[in-house]
Amino acid sequence: MERELLKEKLTVIFRSVFSNGDLQISDSLTANDVANWDSLSHMILIGEVEKSLGITFKLKELNKMKNVGDMMDIILSKL
Amino acid sequence: MVFTSVNFLLFFPLVAVLFYLTPVKYRWLTLLLVSYYFYINIRPVYALLLGGITVSTYVFTRLMDNTPDDRVKKRYMVLNIVLILLPLFFFKYFGPVNEGITGLLDKLHLRWPLPEIKLLLPVGISFYTFMAIGYTIDVYNEEIEAEKHFGIVALFISFFPLVLSGPIERAQNMFPQLNKPVDKVNFAGIVKGMKLMLWGYFMKLVVADRIALYVDVVFNDVSIQSGTTLLLSSILYPFQVYADLGGYSLIAIGTARILGIEVMPNFKRPFFAVSMAELWRRWHISLITWITDYIYKPLSFTFRKQGIWGIVLALLLAFFISGIWHGAALTFVAWGLLQGIFLSVEALLSGKRKLFEERNRLNRRWWYILCTCILTFVLFSLTQVFARASSLGNAVMVLKKIFTDHGGLYLDMTNLLYGLAGLGMLMLSDFRDEFFPERYLAFESNSKAVRYTSYIIIFYLIIFLGVSGDNTQFIYFKF
Repeated sequence: MERELLKEKLTVIFRSVFSNGDLQISDSLTANDVANWDSLSHMILIGEVEKSLGITFKLKELNKMKNVGDMMDIILSKL
Repeated sequence: MVFTSVNFLLFFPLVAVLFYLTPVKYRWLTLLLVSYYFYINIRPVYALLLGGITVSTYVFTRLMDNTPDDRVKKRYMVLNIVLILLPLFFFKYFGPVNEGITGLLDKLHLRWPLPEIKLLLPVGISFYTFMAIGYTIDVYNEEIEAEKHFGIVALFISFFPLVLSGPIERAQNMFPQLNKPVDKVNFAGIVKGMKLMLWGYFMKLVVADRIALYVDVVFNDVSIQSGTTLLLSSILYPFQVYADLGGYSLIAIGTARILGIEVMPNFKRPFFAVSMAELWRRWHISLITWITDYIYKPLSFTFRKQGIWGIVLALLLAFFISGIWHGAALTFVAWGLLQGIFLSVEALLSGKRKLFEERNRLNRRWWYILCTCILTFVLFSLTQVFARASSLGNAVMVLKKIFTDHGGLYLDMTNLLYGLAGLGMLMLSDFRDEFFPERYLAFESNSKAVRYTSYIIIFYLIIFLGVSGDNTQFIYFKF
């Protein structure tokens, strides 16, 4: 899957999880930049990404996701 | 040797001088020797535990670093965690489990008594065990490389300002500082450390210990106290814990700062939180971030397929474990579960609450902030009744009496007056830091006269209103 296509898919998931229809995601986006993105909603986001893309993360990989760019790199390595 | 003892006040300046006189290359060794001397002074035999946990953690983290196979790495991690948790479990839960089984056998008339073993919980064991576990998991997760220098690992786990009650530091923050200690005397850092210590002593000796003299009498026998007295004590107890552990933490952070080491903060004006979730981001920060990273996160990851209910389950379990850690008693289980329930309800309602606040523009209204602060405090105080009461029955009795028994108030004027005066000053300082961080400064004022006057006032308040340090204990030493 191409990065741009993945970004589009992730945007839909992010908007749904954080109830923000205008949310734009970028590689440098972090939890600090999004209202409601805390340790509780983070795991819901992870569950939704896994379900939508048919992948499974490892806990170790989660710790390496410092921003959306890191998340996309990990997802692309699995697709 | 505790921070409030005269011995420590004599010991620490000597340590600081010795530290700065030691060549930079060997400062880690000075700190390590001093840390073990400090711990041995409490109970020599327990230093063996500290040493054992250090050796185990060093060996297994090095093995993990040298193994490419993830499954083998995981085995080393689990093995080390199990090994270093064994002493904690043994010392903490041997007594309660033994009593439980003995009671059961007595009831069944099956008891064959053998000599009893009385065990004292090694002070600080939870804190240095947690630091060692955190480091082990971080190495497994490749967040940090295993430290090759055994002395640095030993110093990280035994560092005397933190060894008794935290803050529970992380290897990522400490290793670089321990490996490269400050090479010059940093006077600004030393002054900052002394200010933190002074305010910490004020919080502990004037606020916490004065309030303790009242609260302890009341909670020692709740059956004879009126609901009014129990209400006042239940309101005061959270402030006592804040001033006790918060004061301890400031002394620890200040002590480390004088030695050129920056340690994470442990409290951030907790009673200005507008929700329980926020309170837990401000209260005992080093413990809650540890629980979040090493207990809550793996649990919520395991239950992630269940969506919000998986989060709720992870929260409940994480706080249940936290409760059990505080003590093997039903009161702490109730404390943990209540925290978990309040946080879960908040998580479930957070979207609606946010919408409601935005729609009515409530977030900047002072009366709304005040009401949410008070509601948060009430919920937190309710949980603290379970943490303080000696049994579940007593906790329920306290809550029942608060609503039904409006008898006279037990007054201990001296301690209440001194304690409340100190608490007023502490809350005013927190209020200033929360809402006017750059104004009305005392310790940090640009005016030398204001700064020195405030140091002198606080010093004399500690001398005249504080409880003698040699007779005090820190609440978290028993955990």
